[in-house]
Amino acid sequence: MPGAESLVWVAAVTVVIWLGIFVYCLALDRRVRRLEEEQ
Amino acid sequence: MTENRTRALLHWVLGGWVLLVIAAAFFYAPSAAGFKGESARIVFFHVPQAWVAVLAFCVNLVASIRYMRKRNPLDDARAAAAARLGLVFSVLATVTGSIFANVMWNSFWNWDPREVSIVILLLIYAAYFALREAIPDEERRASLSAAYAVLAFVTMPFLVFVVPRIYWSLHPDTIIGAKGNLKLQMDSRMLQTLLGSLVGFTGLFVWLYTLDVRLARVLLARRGREEE
Repeated sequence: MPGAESLVWVAAVTVVIWLGIFVYCLALDRRVRRLEEEQ
Repeated sequence: MTENRTRALLHWVLGGWVLLVIAAAFFYAPSAAGFKGESARIVFFHVPQAWVAVLAFCVNLVASIRYMRKRNPLDDARAAAAARLGLVFSVLATVTGSIFANVMWNSFWNWDPREVSIVILLLIYAAYFALREAIPDEERRASLSAAYAVLAFVTMPFLVFVVPRIYWSLHPDTIIGAKGNLKLQMDSRMLQTLLGSLVGFTGLFVWLYTLDVRLARVLLARRGREEE
């Protein structure tokens, strides 16, 4: 079973996944906004 | 301009909120009794994913009914966006559930009623997209998809809420009891983290859903101009 060190690793991986999703959504949002402004 | 700024601010608030939830899930909430090691911490991600999937299928139903009443192509796009997100979050809930099952019962798959019912639900909504892909005519596709979405939704409460409560299941006790009563018997720090996560995942759903719908609106307007 995971000890304290493994827990930190799992938390770090979760943060990286979340940051990936967040940055992707921000980029997508910017792109959609640009398309809306072009209209 | 102000709308864009408010939206950007909300995005950053959501980003920070989810980081806080992750920190709380691993370092603030205590270990749960009766579970192997730290496996119960997955509840802070698994339950909100399942909740968002149900929410998305509800939005899909509402948008589909709206389409059947008003025949607005944007409602069809709304329904498709919601179903897409529902499918993604169902897959995530299934995967996190399997990881938990492997830790608790040494197998990723146990033919548990809850595991089977979520996969049936996944297949039902995957068929929704198979149907959409199979019909080239847009109006016909939207009409048939809306009718199918209503039928698909009828199965959802049965598969998510009824089947797992009828049969014996390995799955830990649900938060909402068979009589609709709340069974929130968990440590207050765990409850705070779970509720925070539910808010965060709902925010993420709203963001992704609005992005999809805004994009569909742009594409529909562009197509309208091209046809003129």
